[in-house]
Amino acid sequence: MPEKYSVEDFLAKAVDAAKIAGEVIKHGFYQTKHVEHKGQVDLVTETDKKCEELIFDNLKQHFPEHKFIGEETAAACGATELTDEPTWIVDPLDGTTNFVHGFPFVCVSIGLTIGRIPTVGVVYNPIMDELFTAIRGKGSFLNGKAINVSSQTELVKALLATEVGTKRDKATVDETTNRINRLLFKVRSLRMCGSCALNLCGIACGRLDLFYELGFGGPWDIAAGAVIVTEAGGHVFDPSGKDFDITSQRIAASNPLLKDAFIETLKQ
Amino acid sequence: MEDFLAAAVEAAKIAGEVAIIRFGFHKTKNVEHKGVVDLVTETDKKCEEVIFDYLRSKYPDHKFIGEETTAACGVTELTDEPTWIVDPLDGTTNFVHGQFPFVCVSIGFTIGRIPTVGVIYNPIMDELFTAIRGKGSFLNGNPTKVSTQTELVKSLLATEAGTKRDKSTLDAITNRINNLLFKVRSLRMSGSCALNLCGVACGRLDLFYEVGFGGPWDVAAGALIVSEAGGLVFDPSGKEFDITSQRVAASNSFLKDAFTEALQY
Repeated sequence: MPEKYSVEDFLAKAVDAAKIAGEVIKHGFYQTKHVEHKGQVDLVTETDKKCEELIFDNLKQHFPEHKFIGEETAAACGATELTDEPTWIVDPLDGTTNFVHGFPFVCVSIGLTIGRIPTVGVVYNPIMDELFTAIRGKGSFLNGKAINVSSQTELVKALLATEVGTKRDKATVDETTNRINRLLFKVRSLRMCGSCALNLCGIACGRLDLFYELGFGGPWDIAAGAVIVTEAGGHVFDPSGKDFDITSQRIAASNPLLKDAFIETLKQ
Repeated sequence: MEDFLAAAVEAAKIAGEVAIIRFGFHKTKNVEHKGVVDLVTETDKKCEEVIFDYLRSKYPDHKFIGEETTAACGVTELTDEPTWIVDPLDGTTNFVHGQFPFVCVSIGFTIGRIPTVGVIYNPIMDELFTAIRGKGSFLNGNPTKVSTQTELVKSLLATEAGTKRDKSTLDAITNRINNLLFKVRSLRMSGSCALNLCGVACGRLDLFYEVGFGGPWDVAAGALIVSEAGGLVFDPSGKEFDITSQRVAASNSFLKDAFTEALQY
């Protein structure tokens, strides 16, 4: 069945939804938060839930036949399978820990896949007022200006981002810090900012050269960021070097020049 | 004191503008290395120049300690004289990397070796942190306070990877992080010691420590901004803070003991 909407329409509506949710986040950012725990250090707030509701309501109105996968709905009702149907994959508030603590790396992440391929991506940080957008084949933008990944060629001059994640069992934490230790000998420095989606945007606009994360929450953390990176000239892949799988909860990203050296280092 | 603060704010804003407008976005940075991963740019040097020129013109009898002048000419001893201690661009790596948004000008002022005025300005996020000893801490003119978090396991911790890349330093860093991850909520690394101190002062961070940063210019302003926001600044061993030691820890008063204990790795 032919779509009556274009990809540009999808992007425009996603931006509207992101901005509506962004206002709620901004308002809540400076207030006391009521925090629940999905795990020992995995948080959710009423803002997360409210934003998901707002975004879904908004997009469902325009695109009632599309499918929807959201972090909070998935947490409440169980995972929805990703099909070839146009599917909105939403993290209503990525960086919930930052939100609770008032640390300014928070965002709304809205991705649209068609045939399971990330096709439209919107990531909006309402505290820093940064809107990252991309449409497959049409470039990547920050507040309307075209962005590109860095042109760094040397690992030792590269800025790496990763996260410590939400698992606190010994095996995971040991693996995490051992890997960081090995990487620190090879890269310029390390950043941890607490938002997977914003780390991908950091790669896309050249602030970061390398990013990997293992064991993040779900496809909603990366659906938008993945297309924002690739449309900025970057690569998104599995940390093993294999093809990127949007449901695997594993991701790496870099510019094309660093990819091989990065994979090599990650494997050790 | 208010005059010293006003002068420091003015100097910080001038430097902030230099960093962003003259040397900022879309411009290739000419990067030199002070060490394998310790960077300096013409922006660092220019900013230190404009800050010193401005403050010297107002206070010619005061003493000056700046990161870049020290690198060029050797260490100036900190005396009891009124002394401006300046990091013209803290977060140089961030600045070089497309202005990853944690960069700042840090201007501290000591009298009798005690931090008395502190100004930290992040021109990318337009955040100005200020404090005068005994008169509170402010962010863009609004009073700020440290967090009220009482539990380590609900605390957000910041630290940095530093600029040393020998095995024993890196092993100590990651072993300490490993140990702490079992005890805190999560970890942030943003690349600016001064802004980490401001993060503690305004409650965005609960805990911060760094061992082996560049010099007193990284902490002279931030230490005062934290203590005037109701926080504590101390040596990671739990002993008293020494501004020239290149070691710092900061937290609110509820968390200090548990934090100090957790740091004894």
